[in-house]
Amino acid sequence: MLSRPELKQRACAVIDQRKADLIGVARQVLHNPEPGFSEVKTARLVAAKFAELGIPYREGLAITGVKGRIAGGGGPGPCLAIIGELDSLIVNEHPNADPETGAAHACGHHCQLGMMLGATMALTQPEILAQLSGELAPFAVPAEEFIEVARRMQLRTDKKLEFMGGKQELIRLGEFDDVDLAMMCHTASDMGDHKFAVGGTSNGHVVKYVQFIGRGAHAGSAPHLGVNALNAASFALQAIHNNREAFRGEDTVRIHGIMTKGGEAVNAVPADVRLEWRVRSATPQAVVKNSAIVDRCFKAGALAVGAAVKITNIPGYLPMKHDTHLQELFRQNAVALLGESRTLVIPGRRNRGGSTDMGDLSHLMPVCHPYAAGAVGSGHSKDYLITDYEAAVVNPAKIMAMVAIDLLADGAVKAKEVMESHRPAMKKAAYLRFQRERASVVEYDGASA
Amino acid sequence: MPSREELKSRVFAAIDARADEIIALSQTILQNPEPGYREVKTAQLVAGKLAEMGLPFRSGLGLTGVRADLRGGSAGPTMALLGELDSLIVNEHPHADPETGAAHACGHHCQIGMLLGAAIGLNQPEVLSHLSGRIALIAVPAEEYIEIEYRDELRRQGKIEFLGGKPELVKLGEFDDVNLAMMIHTTSTTEEGQLCISGTNNGTVAKKIRFIGRGAHAGGSPHLGINALNAASLALSAIHYNRETFKDADTVRVHPIITKGGEAVSAVPADVRMETFVRGRTVEAIMDANAKVDRALRAGAMAVGAQVQIQTIPGYLPLTQNRRMNEIFEPNAVVQVGAANVGSVSHRTGSTDMGDLSQLMPAIHPYVGGAVGLGHGADYVVQDYQLAVIKAAKAMAATTVDLLAEGANLGGQVVAEHRPEMTRPEYLKFLRSLAREETFAAEE
Repeated sequence: MLSRPELKQRACAVIDQRKADLIGVARQVLHNPEPGFSEVKTARLVAAKFAELGIPYREGLAITGVKGRIAGGGGPGPCLAIIGELDSLIVNEHPNADPETGAAHACGHHCQLGMMLGATMALTQPEILAQLSGELAPFAVPAEEFIEVARRMQLRTDKKLEFMGGKQELIRLGEFDDVDLAMMCHTASDMGDHKFAVGGTSNGHVVKYVQFIGRGAHAGSAPHLGVNALNAASFALQAIHNNREAFRGEDTVRIHGIMTKGGEAVNAVPADVRLEWRVRSATPQAVVKNSAIVDRCFKAGALAVGAAVKITNIPGYLPMKHDTHLQELFRQNAVALLGESRTLVIPGRRNRGGSTDMGDLSHLMPVCHPYAAGAVGSGHSKDYLITDYEAAVVNPAKIMAMVAIDLLADGAVKAKEVMESHRPAMKKAAYLRFQRERASVVEYDGASA
Repeated sequence: MPSREELKSRVFAAIDARADEIIALSQTILQNPEPGYREVKTAQLVAGKLAEMGLPFRSGLGLTGVRADLRGGSAGPTMALLGELDSLIVNEHPHADPETGAAHACGHHCQIGMLLGAAIGLNQPEVLSHLSGRIALIAVPAEEYIEIEYRDELRRQGKIEFLGGKPELVKLGEFDDVNLAMMIHTTSTTEEGQLCISGTNNGTVAKKIRFIGRGAHAGGSPHLGINALNAASLALSAIHYNRETFKDADTVRVHPIITKGGEAVSAVPADVRMETFVRGRTVEAIMDANAKVDRALRAGAMAVGAQVQIQTIPGYLPLTQNRRMNEIFEPNAVVQVGAANVGSVSHRTGSTDMGDLSQLMPAIHPYVGGAVGLGHGADYVVQDYQLAVIKAAKAMAATTVDLLAEGANLGGQVVAEHRPEMTRPEYLKFLRSLAREETFAAEE
């Protein structure tokens, strides 16, 4: 029987031995980027790796998810999910972008699959697995990036999904019903000399698909017969900016979007203008409040020129709530591996501004979502590149394996402690109800208002 | 019986004999500018002249208007000759009143000169006895639609109902016995010649707008405030977003100002006020643009969750010219300035309450040169008083002779052929239907 430090040492040695393979997996995913719910090749790669490791798995979960499941030899106990996100972004100018689709890993998810497989590989070594109680669920999840809203709305219309974030949909499908704790690590480019970071939080958000409907007319000869939907949209955006001064700093409000259609032809009054929009805030309450303000702005845009607007509100993500005990385990193991000076503890209220569906999961169970260094450039931009795969894949694989050993060794006593002290913010039913209440279609006709 | 040309010669001689005095009167008014419904000294001056001429007059009409009638030798239609009493407010104008900023930057002082000049010319027994009907000499208040706050207060006090002088006089019945109307306005547009046959003018409605937000410390707690200035700023943008839908032919003009933009820079503005006109060539165009402006104002308020109060005040109706009267005026203009110097203009985009009269009766509103600079600007000054006052007075008086001589044959024809757009009750009903005060609450 090995002690926990010995188990960890063994796990780290396995990862070191196989690190070229793990980095190779990450690089292979980097060069085959696929956006959310389209991660077909990526999922196949993960499935093949699970098969290689002899881990039973199910695939096609929420379209592309792959979930492994393997029991420890120490008897029954909690199930720990080790999560890696399958999907890429779309950043046409990224050096590793797919020239056809523009898909690109500008957020480092390819490293997550490397580290998830690394931790899994180490933990499923027979002499380690034998000493773990409960179960491991290495889980490749789809669609963390909330993009391509129109395409996902079509998937929803086609009944292929209900929620547009991968973990949200997996929760709905019950794929987390048999999971008790969950962890993953995300790469980061803003960590200075630190190699690993725990703490902080993220924004919740709501996603909007907006269509302004005007009336087409010859823009040169009969503009008076038209209703300019682009002017309606343009006014709405201005209106949003005019509200910014009323947002509280502590709410870390982020309101941003893109125009996916701005008119048909330059010589016709635009009659159909579409936007994908996002309203982020630190708390679900602030999300609800600010979402209403943004809806008001879109309606005002329609009113300003007598157009109509249809706002499809889509439930977005919840703010991140790290379990403090899990976070402490991550910190301790990061310090053990990398040293105190390389490990950053971000204050709990520090909000990174972005959003993740790991936040949704964090409302249901103990979750931790720390950050691994190794990236440079601004996240979601063409400059975001992994330059240090040791930091971005190998370190977090080791730290996750070490945390898993802490949780599940010795009869999973630590995991049980974490679960006992955790008070979930919501039960699954309440979560689904809350999110479904966020879903709405607001229609407003500015011509008859 | 003297011919019309002989009558005009008598008229011209009388005007020429007192030309210096008539010009001096205009210049006295220039030096004593008073904006609409405040033309006390100007009205006194007119009354003084009428008294000098031995004409019974009535004053205080629409607060400051003055009217005297000349009677012809036999019955016939009543022809009104109008002069506008009021000045603008243009602080930088060289003849501005240093205290009030009032200034004759639109040449109305010349109108009073030409009105009294025409009166002097016509008020001779050997002329009047050969005319049929009456000549109503009316000095009218408040043509310039300004100081809306002040006039609206007069309205609330029940001293006036309409903010423009001629609509108010129509309401008071001062035009009930008038069958034809004429006035001449100065112009600085050289292309229009020295005397100019005019066409149409835009009509307008006026609006007073108040955005109501919620005050808060702009640094400490902007999230508790509702910024009424942002609402107003967005509303202005929203108006611009609609401009592409205004037809060129409708010559829509929307030109707001902000009369209050907040209390203190350190507080979120909670009370922001605007005024605007909505002008257009036709009543339909005005109503269409006005509905769009209302929507734009509401959109500004809605965007930030503010309230908006919109008061719509009847302005002026589009001006149309009686074609026959213009045809009669034209040769009289040629006599004064020569055919080469008689111009014509088809449409002007400003507004005048002469437009209102033109909806009710045959009317003309030609222009006379003599001014330079930009109308309503600090550089608008009259340089040629001989043209702007004396020749205009002669052309106006001569046109009157043509209409009322020979048993008012031509005048009678004009009146008989004219189909007014509206009757007086219809006109008043329409104006009153424009007057609205609406409050749009902040949407929760």
